[in-house]
Amino acid sequence: MSYNVNFLFLLDYWDALLEGLMTTLGITGLCLILGLGLGFVVALLRLSSNPVVKAVTTLYVEFFRGTPVLIQLFWIFFCLPLILGFEISNFVSAVIALTLYMGAIVSETFRSSLRAIEKDQMDACVALGIGGFTKIFYVILPQAILRAIPTLLSNSVSLFKESALVSAVGMSDLMYIGQNISSVTFKPVEMLTAVAVIYFLIAFPLTRSVSWVERKLIHKIAL
Amino acid sequence: MSYDIDFFYTLKGIDTLMEGLLVTLQLSLTSIVIGVSLGFVVALMVMSPSKLLSWPATSFIEIFRCTPALIQIVWIFYCVPMLFNVFLDPIVMGVLALSLNLIAFNAEAYRAAIQAIPKAQLDASVALGLNKIQTNVYVVLPQAIRLALPVLVTNGISIFQQSALVAIVAIEDLMYMGKMLSTETYRPIETFTVVALIYFAIALPAMYISSQLEKRLKVA
Repeated sequence: MSYNVNFLFLLDYWDALLEGLMTTLGITGLCLILGLGLGFVVALLRLSSNPVVKAVTTLYVEFFRGTPVLIQLFWIFFCLPLILGFEISNFVSAVIALTLYMGAIVSETFRSSLRAIEKDQMDACVALGIGGFTKIFYVILPQAILRAIPTLLSNSVSLFKESALVSAVGMSDLMYIGQNISSVTFKPVEMLTAVAVIYFLIAFPLTRSVSWVERKLIHKIAL
Repeated sequence: MSYDIDFFYTLKGIDTLMEGLLVTLQLSLTSIVIGVSLGFVVALMVMSPSKLLSWPATSFIEIFRCTPALIQIVWIFYCVPMLFNVFLDPIVMGVLALSLNLIAFNAEAYRAAIQAIPKAQLDASVALGLNKIQTNVYVVLPQAIRLALPVLVTNGISIFQQSALVAIVAIEDLMYMGKMLSTETYRPIETFTVVALIYFAIALPAMYISSQLEKRLKVA
């Protein structure tokens, strides 16, 4: 073996990696918030009795779940500016792409948790004369969110991992900075391993917390 | 808008895209076969009472589930040749990266399925004089596959989609060919739309099958 593994040089680059990590976390956080909102609205719209609304939202969800995130990102990065007629930055296209992706998977999570809310509750709302927004915000939403929490957590981990793709459109996230330093220093083994370890250190506790939260919740709402 | 939609050049390049699709299918199908079979083995290792087996298997699963697929692919492409001095065909490397990822996810699916098999069946196997291998092959495996099937199909669909990532390390799959064609023809909208539709046309029936399977299992 002619390659000498030396992890010490990483110390010179920790601030660059930290900066990349901040970009990764920032974009994940932003798309998480936007995606949760979008996903919830879409999940409610899919339950609508209007066939057009239902068809459009279903198509959106199926399309974004059925195509690679990379092509979604490329489509938005390369094609959207042509359609809109003005430039959009790689940050904006990354946020749009990941939000749409997150919205699609989150809406599926909400949809299955909405389905788990029994019909009796809807009947009870009718009997009590509760309708529209009150029904959604005081009866359905709290229960749906509670039931959805474990899956939403693992959706967030997926988003965090998928965010590495934004490096492909030149966003200087953790992945991009790691790849750049590794090709400048000719030390891919150490650098890429370090990047992988950083991703792991964040995703692992989150993944673990999914089953912990699940147990707590089952205990609490006695499903 | 000054961009005129014109599918002429994209359709002319459809052969290139089909070549790419073939590579994509080759990568995904090989990884699925490996993932479905070795995933079961890894799941058994995780559940084994021997720490020597369960520890490496658990770490393997956690590492591959908790890091982005992109870094796994890039790592394997750059670091494996350097560390081990082996230079494999890019497609073989792609299959290696994707199947390791899929094995980890499938092992989790199998583990959950195996846990759902009643313990009494294992006692019955002992009573019937089946040895460990016979129990696993004839009692556990058939039921585990049946219970895990919806998740295995879902994981298969996601590895088909993740396979687009190999374009970043210049394997000439559908994604790569699409990117190339769009640059060559200056037709990003048409090309990327067609590429997305090809992915979608393959994933959609599989998604439908997976949800049907889930419904049938719930009834059973």
